[in-house]
Order: sequence, then C-alpha cells, then structure tokens
Amino acid sequence: MPSPEPSAGMPPCVLEDMPPPPAGMPLIVDFENVTKTYDAGTPRAFTSITDINFKVEDRPKIGEFVGVLGPSGCGKSTVLRLIAGLAPHFPQTMGKVFVNEQPVQGPGPDRGFVFQDYSNFPNRTVIDNVAFGLECAHVEEKERKAKAMEWIQKVGLDAKRDGLKYPHQLSGGMNQRVAIARTLIMQPKIILMDEPFGALDPTTRQSMQDLLVSLWRELEATVFFVTHDIAEAVYLSDRMYIFSPSPGTIRHQLKITPADRPARQMQAERSFQESVLAVRDILEKLELEKAALAAKGSPK
Amino acid sequence: MPETEIAKTTPSKPSVWSNWLGRARTIRDVPPQLESWMFGLAFMGLALVVWYLVTAEWNGERFMPRYKLPSPGETFASFPSLWFDRALSLSAIASLARVLGGFMLTAAIGIPLGIIAGCYLRVNAFLKPLSVFGRSVPIAALVPLTMIWFGLGEVQKVMFIFIATVAYVLFDTTNAVQAVPDRFLDTGYTLGAHRTRAKGARRATFFALIYALIFSFGLFALDDQSESHGLLRGMAGSSFWLHALFGLTLGFLLWYPIQSHQLLRKVLLPLALPDIINNLRLVFGVAFGYIMLAEVIDAKRGLGFIIIQSQRVGPREHIYLCLIIITLLAYGIDQGIRVLQRKFFPYLKNAES
Repeated sequence: MPSPEPSAGMPPCVLEDMPPPPAGMPLIVDFENVTKTYDAGTPRAFTSITDINFKVEDRPKIGEFVGVLGPSGCGKSTVLRLIAGLAPHFPQTMGKVFVNEQPVQGPGPDRGFVFQDYSNFPNRTVIDNVAFGLECAHVEEKERKAKAMEWIQKVGLDAKRDGLKYPHQLSGGMNQRVAIARTLIMQPKIILMDEPFGALDPTTRQSMQDLLVSLWRELEATVFFVTHDIAEAVYLSDRMYIFSPSPGTIRHQLKITPADRPARQMQAERSFQESVLAVRDILEKLELEKAALAAKGSPK
Repeated sequence: MPETEIAKTTPSKPSVWSNWLGRARTIRDVPPQLESWMFGLAFMGLALVVWYLVTAEWNGERFMPRYKLPSPGETFASFPSLWFDRALSLSAIASLARVLGGFMLTAAIGIPLGIIAGCYLRVNAFLKPLSVFGRSVPIAALVPLTMIWFGLGEVQKVMFIFIATVAYVLFDTTNAVQAVPDRFLDTGYTLGAHRTRAKGARRATFFALIYALIFSFGLFALDDQSESHGLLRGMAGSSFWLHALFGLTLGFLLWYPIQSHQLLRKVLLPLALPDIINNLRLVFGVAFGYIMLAEVIDAKRGLGFIIIQSQRVGPREHIYLCLIIITLLAYGIDQGIRVLQRKFFPYLKNAES
C-alpha cells in the first residue's frame, strides 16, 4: 500500500541547485561551450544547441542518473547523440565534448544507447539481438549465447520461452526489455537513453522504471535519460538538467533525491509530487518563453 | 413499446442474396478466399467462352478464321505435336537456362555493387548515370547490338539478359539498402560494429573463388555451344585462365567492402536482403519476357523460337499454346520463389508484395 507520507528514516524528495563539481575530480562527461549548427553558412542554417556547458564527475562503483528535461525540440537528443558520437549530430560545430577526459572520436560500445523505437534487429531472434554486441566483439558463440540468456532473464523475460522469438512477436514493453538487455550486456560505463519508455503504457512504464533502477545499481554506470515525463525524471534522477527552448542551452541544474523505493510507492508521496510540480512550473515557464520566441521570430 | 415497432418496420430477415450484394457494394470489403478464387475462375471461364464463341462455326462460317485464331479445341489438340515434334520441354529448358545464366551474372554483379552504392553515397553518385541510362534505354534496341558484340550464339542471349536487367537490379538493391532505417545503423555502431579487414579479406577470397569458377567454367561451357565467337573471345583471348583471373579480381573487389565491415555484413545486408530478393523475383519475371526477344532471331531452340517458327510455317495453334505455357511457367517460378522467401525470412509477417 502506498503511504501518503514518507516513512521514518526516508528523506523526502527534494530539489536543490547542483553545486559545482569539486576541482580535480575525474570527469566522465564534460561539455565545454558546445554548439551544433546544421547546414551552417546556408539560408537553412539551424542551431540546435548553443553554448552547452556541464560536467559530470566519474564516480566509480556508484555512477549517476542524469535526467534531461526541456521543451520539445530543444536539442536534448543532440546532446545524447554527441556523447554517443552518432552522426549527423556528431561532430559538434563548436566547443569540445570529452568522455573520460578524451575527445569523442565516434561511436563505440563503451557508450550504450537505448532508443525510443527499440530498434531490435527484425531478422534476429531475441537471443541473437542481445548477443549482437558480443558477436561484434568476436566472443565465441557458446559463451555469448549463455551470456545473452543470462541478461534476458535479468530484464525480466523468460529466456527459454522468449529467447527464440523474433521482435515482431513481442509487445512494446518486451521489445524495450530486449533493447535494454542488448545494451547492458556490453557493460557500458555510460548509458544514453532517449525517451526509452515514451511509447509504453503507464503501467508498463512504471515497472520498466523499477527494472532500470535495479539494473543500474548493479552496473554502476552513468545514465543520461531524456524524457518528457516529469514524474519519471524526478523519480529516476540524481541530477537533472533542464534545457531552455531552442536553440537549447542548460538553464537549470537540479540535485534530486535518488530513487530508493519502488516507483509506485515513491511516486505517491506528497513530497515527491511537490517536486514534480516545482519542475512542472519551471518547464511551463520555458514553454511560455518558447511561445514568445516563436511569436517574435515569425514576422520575418 | 418502441422496440416492437422497430422490429415490425425492419424487414424480418435480409435474404442471403441481398446480404451478399450489400457486402459486394461495400468499398474494400474483403471477400472470403474461396469467393476470390471463384471470381478468378469466372474470368478464365468467361475468356474461354468468348474464345469459343468467336471461333465457333455458324452456318459453316467462322467469325475468326483458323489461321488467325484457332478454336480452344484445335489449340489444345495440337499439344502432342508441340510436345513431341517441336520438343517443347527442351525449348523450355533452353529458354530458362538462358534467363538463369544471364540472371546469375546480373545478381553476381548488380547485388554487391548495389549494396556498396547503398552504403557509400559517392559510389552511388558515380553509378547513377549507368543506372539511369540502363533503365531508360529501350531493351529491344539492344538485341542487334548484342548480336554485333557477342555473335548469334548462347553468349549473346545470356549477355542480352545481363545487359537488360543489371541496371534494374543495381538500382533496386541500392534502394533496398538505403531504405534500412538509420536507427539500425545507430544501434549497430553503439554496440561496437566495426571494420574487420582480415576477416573481410578471408571471406572476400571465398567469394572471389566462386566468381572465378563461374567466369571460367561458365563462359567455357557457353562458348562451346556457340558456333561463332564475338567480342568476348577476342577480348579475353578466349583464355580460360584469363577469365578465371578476371572473376577472381571482380569477386574480391565486389565483396571485400561488404565483408570487411560488420555493419554491412551483420546489419545492412541481412536487413535489406528480403527486399533485394523480392526485387530479383520481379525482375526475373521481366527477364523471362525479354528472352523471347533474343530468341526470335536465329535460335535453334527456345520458346521464342517455337513462336516465330509457328508464325512462319504453322501450326498457329502452337503460338497460343506457347503463350499459355510461358505464363504458367513464369507464374509457377514466381510462386516457388515466394515459398522460398517465406521459408528463409520467417520474421517477415507477410512475404507478400
């Protein structure tokens, strides 16, 4: 039963501004004045993000959950894809993107990506989808299949029953579980999730949030999570970046109580809902700003 | 009570006929499978009846004379002479073999080249004029040219099919690869798909050996059958080993770019393959039609040859029989490929279209 008040000993969900990172701490992701302009120098030039600055410390054995929120079209995905090194967003037009203090050169298995539309390979069974990364890394067939079975169980699917199915035989939630297993099997230190649960119904969504929290504890990775669902972001995040309207730049950095209880329980607490409302207020102001910008920009 | 009033005013029970008529008049109403077949059969029946009526004798006179359009009975009665005297099965096999030979060449070059062009857009831009030209040029106009280049034998017929179809297969394959959504590429990249040069070279060598065999033995076999030698013999010096070397180089060059990148080998190629095979099936149907063009000129057997012989010296019944047989053969092959498609791509919910 969800209790309306937090039980004793559990901190209420709070929002506070993020303190700057202590100097000298190793950084896992570091954006320095990053700007991305498409078709630069042509009349179609479009700036997606401008002057993005943020630093996420490397916390070995702990990791961090970074929620990314903002008005639609503000370049949240661009930031994720710049970390992943995926074209056409990569490379940035200006500024520097560092991962593990090295400039990003291109995509790699050290940065896992979970997409909204699952994108499981339709020609591969669940096992072969999950084992794809290991296959690319030339892991022997027997070993990679055993490991894939293990991960299929971990994301809450039945490896025996579902392992030989094809993606089109699975529901959306199951497909997203496969996509998560496929990403996590590579044990990436950075996991990028672009609205991974956007296409799922609310009930499935909550169970996926719980699954994600439990898996993330085991992986000790830094997760970047783009979402439009404020409750989801407040629940999952340790840290939250709120973007301004396009061209996007980081407007707020918030520190948030981490998810330490099941989604259904924690999301029913009053302090949690107050935090959600506070974030919603910030976002609504930004949406108004966006509308004002659009009104000013239209009579060209 | 309003309920009983409504029951009184509505007709007691719509008849089966008016029920059916209502459905038939509904836009996009899907008929049961059996009904669809009945309608298909009805068309064939209607065609037979019309055929019968225009060729039947009325007071000793026919609307269509026999030399223009023989009656259904006369046509089907001439089947034994077509089968035995004209050696229908040999001709059908000869036609099929020519199409298959040319088509194999088309697939061997068009598919890998199309995959490369679909991945590397500069290659695509480079090959674009070729595919535009190849798809716009009137195919029938190529028959005389192929005779100048390759003589009158089997090489000419195979090369004609190759030249007529390669641009289509190249174009379709390029499109199929480009149609693979970007998100699968992104997924592949973030899971670590990378270039594997050594493995690519090993696999490409295997393909190169197959190509060498096809080009040496295949051309050798064709050359043996043809009595006159055209460009190919002069070009290659009719040397078996030169052909083999040519095939080896070509096979390696075409397959190394595909085999040496995991993203092409494990993602793009398998995802585009169902589309590629489906397009091959469609082009094969067209190629089977083209071969008649090459066979009406100086062939010793083949379905096209039988048709032109029947037109010149009769019996005309054979023309109609051949048309029916060609249609049935093409349809049968098409259905056969479909069955294979469903077997090899079980993940496609419908291997239709």
